[in-house]
Amino acid sequence: MNRAIVPVILMLIFCTLYSGCSTHPNTGKIPLKVVAAGSLLVPFSELESQYEALNPDIDVQVEGHGSIQAIRQVTDLYRKFDVVAVADESLIPDLMYRPSRETGKNFTDWYVPFARNEMVIAYTEKSLYHTEINETNWPEILAKPDVRVGFSNPMLDAAGYRALMVTMLAGDYYGDQTIFPRVIGNHFDPPLVMENSAQGYTVRLPEVPHPSDQHIVIRDGSIFLLSLLAAGGIDYAFEYRSVAEAQNLSYVNLPPEINLASTDYEDWYAKSHVILGFPRFSSIGQERGGRPIVYAMTVPSDATHPDEGQKFLQFVLGHEKIGERGWPASL
Amino acid sequence: MKLTIPVLLISFLAVGFLMAAGCSDTKSPVAEAAPDYSDWRLTLKGASEMVFTLDELRNLPSVNGHGYCVSTTGFRFGPYRCKGVDLRVLASMAGGMEPGDTIWISAPDGYLWVFDLDQMEGRGFVTFNEGLAEIPSPPLRIILMYEQDGKPLSYNDGGPARIAIISEEPGVITEGSAWVKWVDRIEIKEKTA
Repeated sequence: MNRAIVPVILMLIFCTLYSGCSTHPNTGKIPLKVVAAGSLLVPFSELESQYEALNPDIDVQVEGHGSIQAIRQVTDLYRKFDVVAVADESLIPDLMYRPSRETGKNFTDWYVPFARNEMVIAYTEKSLYHTEINETNWPEILAKPDVRVGFSNPMLDAAGYRALMVTMLAGDYYGDQTIFPRVIGNHFDPPLVMENSAQGYTVRLPEVPHPSDQHIVIRDGSIFLLSLLAAGGIDYAFEYRSVAEAQNLSYVNLPPEINLASTDYEDWYAKSHVILGFPRFSSIGQERGGRPIVYAMTVPSDATHPDEGQKFLQFVLGHEKIGERGWPASL
Repeated sequence: MKLTIPVLLISFLAVGFLMAAGCSDTKSPVAEAAPDYSDWRLTLKGASEMVFTLDELRNLPSVNGHGYCVSTTGFRFGPYRCKGVDLRVLASMAGGMEPGDTIWISAPDGYLWVFDLDQMEGRGFVTFNEGLAEIPSPPLRIILMYEQDGKPLSYNDGGPARIAIISEEPGVITEGSAWVKWVDRIEIKEKTA
């Protein structure tokens, strides 16, 4: 009798230990929660696989949002993340250097810049005039009435208001202040006016911007612009270089004076301002100023696994692929 | 024969353990307790100002439809069966909107979204199919949703009330930025000069 029961008991123990767990979230691994800017999702997906292969006890979980919304997950929604990675280094001190109502400590007191990016104009072989466009004539191509130009919603995505800044700065660089109205401003109802003052150039967006014709297309995020580009729904899109490369798109490089990439031109970029139509987030104002695109990371003070967050952060900082095609550039 | 009964008994036990083991945080089939929203108030401000409890909101004329949204990074939420109050009904109760006016929807987490009169009529939204390819927009309406899939809206889903953009057709996806969660204030702003 005993010999007959032994295999059943072994089966019982085996089943008890392993049953029902194939889809169970509790894998016994430490969940490392990362909230990252949307433009980091492709590279961070690759980092996730590599990091998990090197650290089998860690389950990296990356969640993507616009940069402000990414920080808000921690500061306004009180969700626990072990790493925050955003596409604008200024956002971390602006939004996280303040105390949490739960812990009384600042959400963080530090950040590490780790990469940079630049604005480009992405296109495909379906794009009108794609054999003609270059670094010099792009404003004329994008102003043509039969060309459709896309950018993401400035209310939602930093790449959106950065598209407006690039076009404003182009007026100074090329010595033609009609570039902004011809490429963008005149294609809204009412038109978006570029104000010129001692502080530089400013565009005020209405609460709900309405393109007045087919020339301008606005979508919530760059993922939707990429779909439109692929389908031929638009000819050109303002995008980050790394995003265009990750999607194998062709792109026009812009001069460093206007591509928001170089710290050498910080003062020049600062001449461009966008005032958003309404304060989507009460924790940050409506005005965005031009500045170099620098990515930054931090570990929030209330992270569940701060030590693991630090290790992942160090892994990203030392990663050899930063700067390669499809990744943000090294600093 | 003597062996059969204990072997079968243990086998049944094994199956029982198998079904239950390792699933301590799996959702119980027992219905979750209804969230307590008794302290929630909705402020509606226009030419006049009113304050609603959830029960008062639920007593207003309601509409149903299919809701489905997508985040800026392409993550889909839904599809849902949505029930709530048409935003135009609430705007009308607050004195109505004129051309050029906007309606500001806000929540205590500091999030704000704005619709214009065109959008209040269901126009001007980008719509996608389930593959996230753009499709022509069917008739849409904006509602203040308090019930999702036949249940009170959970806090994590934006309860007690959130914005939803609904259609009579299933599978129509709209951009999620307008789906404000935890709405507690709706204000009509007159057109500025």
